Amino acid sequence: MPENEYVVKLESVSRVYHQGDQTVHALDHISLRIHHGEMVVVAGPSGSGKTTLLNIAGGLDRPTEGKVWLKEHELTTMNRRALAQLRLHAISFVFQAYNLIPVLSAEENAEFILLLRGVPAAARRAKVREVLNAVGLQGLEDRRPHQLSGGQQQRVAVARAIVAEPALVLADEPTANLDSASAAALLELMVRLNRELGTTFLFSTHDPRVMRRARRVIRMMDGRIESDENIPEDEQE
Amino acid sequence: MGILLTIAWRNIWRHTRRTLLTVFTVALGLMLLLLSIGLGDGGHYQMIESSVRFGSGHVVIQAPGYQQSRGVAKYVDYGAQHRALAWLDSAGDRFGVQTVLRRVFGSGLAASAEDSAGVQMIGIQPALERSVSRFAEKLTAGKFPESDDAEEVVIGSGVARRLALKPGDKLVLTAQEVGGRELQSILVRVGGIMRTGIEEVDESTVLLPLVTAQRFLGTGEGVHQIAVLLRDSRLAEPLARLARERLPGLDVLTWAQALPELNDFIRIDDAGNYLFNTVFFVLIAFLVLNTLLMSVLERKREFALLDALGLTPERRFSMIMLEAGFVALLSAAAGAALGLLGHLYFAVHGLPIDWFYTGEISAAGVAFDPVIYSNLSEKRILGCIGLVFVLTLLLALVPARRAARPADACLLGRA
Repeated sequence: MPENEYVVKLESVSRVYHQGDQTVHALDHISLRIHHGEMVVVAGPSGSGKTTLLNIAGGLDRPTEGKVWLKEHELTTMNRRALAQLRLHAISFVFQAYNLIPVLSAEENAEFILLLRGVPAAARRAKVREVLNAVGLQGLEDRRPHQLSGGQQQRVAVARAIVAEPALVLADEPTANLDSASAAALLELMVRLNRELGTTFLFSTHDPRVMRRARRVIRMMDGRIESDENIPEDEQE
Repeated sequence: MGILLTIAWRNIWRHTRRTLLTVFTVALGLMLLLLSIGLGDGGHYQMIESSVRFGSGHVVIQAPGYQQSRGVAKYVDYGAQHRALAWLDSAGDRFGVQTVLRRVFGSGLAASAEDSAGVQMIGIQPALERSVSRFAEKLTAGKFPESDDAEEVVIGSGVARRLALKPGDKLVLTAQEVGGRELQSILVRVGGIMRTGIEEVDESTVLLPLVTAQRFLGTGEGVHQIAVLLRDSRLAEPLARLARERLPGLDVLTWAQALPELNDFIRIDDAGNYLFNTVFFVLIAFLVLNTLLMSVLERKREFALLDALGLTPERRFSMIMLEAGFVALLSAAAGAALGLLGHLYFAVHGLPIDWFYTGEISAAGVAFDPVIYSNLSEKRILGCIGLVFVLTLLLALVPARRAARPADACLLGRA
């Protein structure tokens, strides 16, 4: 893959937190590149720095040291407003805790980013319906989050993440709160989206089911990358 | 903006009871503000009306310097009167002039067979005064003089008591005439006795027919005051301003200048009311601020989510301002409706303040009416509604700024 075709590039990134007298090195001089169309899993135990890595890659957190790029944009030099704009147009998130907007229906949640982008109503509705059908939520469009199961809420979150066709989807332990069947269905959905639409996914997980579906697995420990390996296609499930 | 409006509107109904309590509190504050201002303004309006109809006017025209030293010789002569009356006649429709009264004033001694007392004499045009001033309606005995040259007077109840007079009795008035060194006396008959409730008036006033007074005090056809009564007291200032330009050589005063004690009393009373309303609204403001702030603080995770989804700090700020705007609109609408209903009730039925005291109360030379009627101008109503709306939005600036702050991404991971 050519050197300049990365979606995300981290260059010697460190993130240090201070908790009282203690200093925690959440990330310790991490460098990596995620390329267009990759489905990458960041694996590791709790506290290894997976979530911090995703937050920094998505511009939600700033590194203490080092540089981060999303395509040609250097996130570390951008202000909060510019970062929010960049997220709106290029990055989507799927969280462990679903994080839907509680006062909006499933359809409105999925539509939210397109509305902020100012996509015309007809195109917006058509796209949202198509994506909700793709994630298996037809018939549930008008339900509010509290009227949906955990798996259904996570599907709405995925629909929201992919409807705007972002350059990068960051998913922080997306299957952690789901039962086996829901987790398997969700994984299948994301693998399909990755293959069919070429959406770039960066997961954090310690769920072996997710790791088995990835094309590349980055293992972390104590804020450092322990290994970074591409999984041959015949080993992927 | 559409989606922000939708979210903001739905957000305020997430805690229906809390929102309704906030709306009710602000609405109650607005209602009380409208009632307090309506009754305050109504009371002041009645005091002004009462005062201008007890020997003054909304606008008074006098000889230069008469207001400062009320010498009997400082009168408006016939020519100046004619000029003033002609101008008032031409400007009358524009300023809603109801009546123009001419009066003379003098001080002297009243003596009966029993006793004597110092008195203030007012020469009036009985027919005109009867139609617009309150002297006639305050008669407790006898009758008002019929003509401008009758030798019949109306005396205050205090004068009648001190001099042991009743209608039909005779009394002698003594005063110094204009330019004369001699004292002049006139024998008159008591036509009526009035009780205004204003101690200064009841204890010392003697009303004489105008021509009788002019003859007695030696002003000829001159008067000390041309009093203009208007249908709307708010037009006093513009009328006086124009009159000063058109009537050079005469002093033109509004009621506020002619009755400085009353004006000061109203200003002090207004200041007290404003202070009370401010304290009241500060208390309400803390409650509203607390509610708005609490609603933002308990949604930190949502703001982190909105930040992650690409909602800029400005848009998060706007969202909270919209929520506050909805609360302000609902509060203003409910408060205005309640306040106006209360105002309408008190404008028609009045508030009987004699529940709170017995006897008569006067201040700044004006007797309080026993019933106060609410009086609210459109400007006051819109001002109060605007104040509540703006205050709520100003209070929302604090939580809105909070919502626009950098979000803590760690919150998003928590289930």
